[in-house]
Amino acid sequence: MDALETFIVEAAIPSEAGFYKKILEDNISSLKLAPAIGRLKVILRPEDSLFQMALLLRDIGSALTTADIAKVEAKVATEKEVRISIKKEQYLPELLRLLWKRYGKANIKQPDRWTVAVVVENPLKVAPFIENLVVADPRHTLHENLVDFAIRVTPEGFRVRYHLFKGQKFVFVASEDALKKEWIEEAGKMLEALERTKGGV
Amino acid sequence: MGVVLLPYLYSGGVHKHWLILELLEDLGGYVIQKLVTGTEVNLIMLIPEKDVHLIKAISDKLHGVLLEAPLTGVEIAVVSPTLASHHLPHSACDVAEYLRHPGANTNMIGLARGMGRRVALSKDFERKLINEHDLAVFTFGSFSDCIINKKPKLFEGIEVPVVVTGGPELKTEEVSGADLYVGGIGRVSHRLRRGEEVQALESLNAGVSELVGKIRTELAKDPLAVLPARVMKEIENQIPEIHNVLSPGPITLQLKGLRVKLPYEAFHKRVENLEFDEGVFLSELANISRSKMKNYILIKIKYKSDVGFSI
Repeated sequence: MDALETFIVEAAIPSEAGFYKKILEDNISSLKLAPAIGRLKVILRPEDSLFQMALLLRDIGSALTTADIAKVEAKVATEKEVRISIKKEQYLPELLRLLWKRYGKANIKQPDRWTVAVVVENPLKVAPFIENLVVADPRHTLHENLVDFAIRVTPEGFRVRYHLFKGQKFVFVASEDALKKEWIEEAGKMLEALERTKGGV
Repeated sequence: MGVVLLPYLYSGGVHKHWLILELLEDLGGYVIQKLVTGTEVNLIMLIPEKDVHLIKAISDKLHGVLLEAPLTGVEIAVVSPTLASHHLPHSACDVAEYLRHPGANTNMIGLARGMGRRVALSKDFERKLINEHDLAVFTFGSFSDCIINKKPKLFEGIEVPVVVTGGPELKTEEVSGADLYVGGIGRVSHRLRRGEEVQALESLNAGVSELVGKIRTELAKDPLAVLPARVMKEIENQIPEIHNVLSPGPITLQLKGLRVKLPYEAFHKRVENLEFDEGVFLSELANISRSKMKNYILIKIKYKSDVGFSI
């Protein structure tokens, strides 16, 4: 599935669907969701105060451990420390935050941009632990961003909301009145249709 | 009276800009706002009609720009349904910012519960606050159904002219209660800077200027007892504390009055007792009350027909 291979916005008046597509695009780009979303469909029915959205996510990466982003070695010969050689710098802030919290800022040294040294009593024991530390979980941030996205794009007055987030499927229905069962079922059918479609805009 | 004052904006360097201020004072014009930013200065002023060429000559000499600013001395309320990220900062702030180009003072007002269709409503306090302005611009969203059928209930109790902006292209008559509708400025999540968006903001400015022009023409038939700009000058002369106020516009001019950004309790007596050269006190010419905005003083000047004379 390509990023945003299907992107449909439907409304009774086509120009209004156009306005809304722009709002969705802006929010997708400001939350950096474009690579994560595969297919997306939104149906707007302002006359019923109804907003329905179905969304299929692409494959999301699994949790990243320190081993994925750096090489971890235990140094015992000269000084007792665990030396971490960074390979992917983008996750360094998260790693540092975790290390500072656990070992204290005083025990973390950064001799250069690519190296972090953790001073500990028994490096041989600590090194495997640091290797398996979960540094970043794209799924977790994605969930947060998706919920934020849904709330941002929904008309503000539509405060009665239903959402379902299961695996790679996301359904969101919002209205200002009590939600009807058939509205949620319709959104479910939109999602099924999305799963069947392939490509197209 | 007899002197027609025209609103102009001068923008240029700080160097020797006092030449303009001195000449303006000699000619009997008024400086409404002076904004110094670094080495640049923006002067919003009222110049006597027959003397505009004199100011223009100095402005050219100083390599500054003198532009007409038709919304000078107009205080506009830009009303957004709420203060949530759905409506702000984009579109509502762009509208407010753009209205300032021709000289207007704008205040942003976010209603507490203005969002939605059935649930949208405004409070008495909010309506009174909006009514203190010369004009209200309501920034609405993208659905014509909402703008035509649901949102006009927010105009109930608004006595000032109402301008509405929204996404769809509608006719003003379709939006009940609105004096002007401008399309192409709906709900957006980005800054309005594309060609057609800027064009829509331009037409908003043109429409608002026209509306203000109509109010001024009405006002010319039954003029105010005293010019708001003159009251402003007297306040600056007689209440020196106004110079310590840090707001960008310590005295904000309106078409029919002024907002003085000083605490009501401490200063309203002195404002009421403001004396003009003709021996008249301001309290005889205007209604002075506590503004709904913070604790400011609101002056609404009476008409010549009510007072019997004008100065």
